[in-house]
Amino acid sequence: MSVQTPVTPTTERQVSSPYQRRMYMRRRFISTFHMTMSHVVTLLGLAVLAWILWSLFGQGFSALSLKLFTEMTPPPGSDGGLLNAIFGSVMMVGIATIIGIPVGLLVGTYLAEYGRYAKISAVVRFINDILLSAPSILIGLFVYELVVVPMGHFSGYAGAIALAIIALPVVVRTSEDMLLLVPDTLREAAAALGIPRWRVILQVSYRAAGPGLMTGALLAVARISGETAPLLFTSLNNQFWSTNMNQPMANLPVVIFNFAMSPYDDWRSLAWAGALLITLAVLGLTIAARTLLAAKSRMKG
Amino acid sequence: MSMFQALPDDIVAHAPVAEPTPIKVSVRDLDFYYGKNKTLNSISLDFHDRSVTALIGPSGCGKSTLLRTLNRIYSLYPNQTATGQILLDGENILAQGKDLNNLRARVGMVFQKPTPFPMSIYENIAFAVRMYEKLTKSEMDDRVEWGLRKVALWDEVKDKLHVSGNGLSGGQQQRLCIARSVVLNPEVLLLDEPASALDPISTMKIEELISELRADYTIIIVTHNMQQAARTSDYTAFMYLGDLIEISPTRELFTNPREARTRDYITGRFG
Repeated sequence: MSVQTPVTPTTERQVSSPYQRRMYMRRRFISTFHMTMSHVVTLLGLAVLAWILWSLFGQGFSALSLKLFTEMTPPPGSDGGLLNAIFGSVMMVGIATIIGIPVGLLVGTYLAEYGRYAKISAVVRFINDILLSAPSILIGLFVYELVVVPMGHFSGYAGAIALAIIALPVVVRTSEDMLLLVPDTLREAAAALGIPRWRVILQVSYRAAGPGLMTGALLAVARISGETAPLLFTSLNNQFWSTNMNQPMANLPVVIFNFAMSPYDDWRSLAWAGALLITLAVLGLTIAARTLLAAKSRMKG
Repeated sequence: MSMFQALPDDIVAHAPVAEPTPIKVSVRDLDFYYGKNKTLNSISLDFHDRSVTALIGPSGCGKSTLLRTLNRIYSLYPNQTATGQILLDGENILAQGKDLNNLRARVGMVFQKPTPFPMSIYENIAFAVRMYEKLTKSEMDDRVEWGLRKVALWDEVKDKLHVSGNGLSGGQQQRLCIARSVVLNPEVLLLDEPASALDPISTMKIEELISELRADYTIIIVTHNMQQAARTSDYTAFMYLGDLIEISPTRELFTNPREARTRDYITGRFG
């Protein structure tokens, strides 16, 4: 009996002829090249992100103080905080959420449940996609023409409407996607018990898609809380404490925009603090959204 | 014993003996279309009250489609249409303006994959009952218990009624789904391969359950498993390429099929 050296068949095949060996080396080179490039590009992207966060946190934290939450935006050269801007942002984002999310959810529900096969749905989806990628300054100008011009002045309401229009397509898209993830067998099972459509949607589809729908809503809130351009044309800004939504209203993004470009050191430091606040709020929302989604996948598994 | 007999004697011998009962559902000249694609060709057959009828045939033969016409679940999809007549107690359920929710409460359906709703075990059952009856809390408790006992699930879940139905095993989920249908007091129960996603023990439990439910309901079961058809059904219908080839008492179909194609199928020559 001859003794054979243990050679795995694949290795043997790959090196068996010079041609195959060349091909193998070539494939290995291409694979290594692409893997290296992917890593480099990923690192570049992450580095930029880390750099932004690094300077934001560095500059922002040193500007953080209790005064941010107790005092109004100051005139140049004096002490102040961001209270009016924080309040304005919360109010406008809040109202935009109250308008945008229910409407978006209803449209998403129509697309995923009632109108899935309707011709109009394709049109709605197409328009929604355009709205989703429309530059936000366009939305600002639109609301300016629609609300600010007839009213004769900038106002917090106009800002909230602009933000609602920006949130709308995000909510439409995510709620349709999340509802489509609910298996049709579940809808059929409910229908097979003689449960009417609207009840199936409320108690089966919404329940099954619940965490996903919530995630979509939170992401929409995160998206609008940093929007600047639409607010420049709608709510503008207000140096003073104002709870009147019918008047120009201070808000974090526009304050950051104004203060960051100013020559005054104390304004610039307030801008950093405001930027940090928004970033932390969005971070918090995103973490909440992810936690909800994780809870959802646990429920399925 | 016929020379074409596909199954061991003992299985066929245990097939329930069909005693003629009144006709519950009568299908007449049923055609079915997915869009323009015709998938059922002029099907006519009867389902008898308080008996089990098995629909067998190779994949794509239309047996599930036939089942899905009987509670008009296909009507959820606008591109699916059926023509002809399906008489439930003499009333055509394909007629325009038929109250589908009412129909579906009378004709229950259980699907291949267990489909517990994303709610508690208790709610899974109570959910549909609330649509039809106004019950007090204790009446509802009784109804839920009755349903769970009916499918032999009560002892396994009585201590966790308010836990999500998703946490049950596949077999338990499927029995929960049957319970969910049964508590509505349906007259007909449609089972679409109810055991094909389950392990052998769960399958056995489902089959035992079918034998018990047979006393109260008209049961129509789609199955790929010929032993299952032989064990559980009184009548068996063999379908092929959208045609009904033959329907006979189960023992007869498996021991002495009238049609050559039936014989070929049950002896494993195709399918």
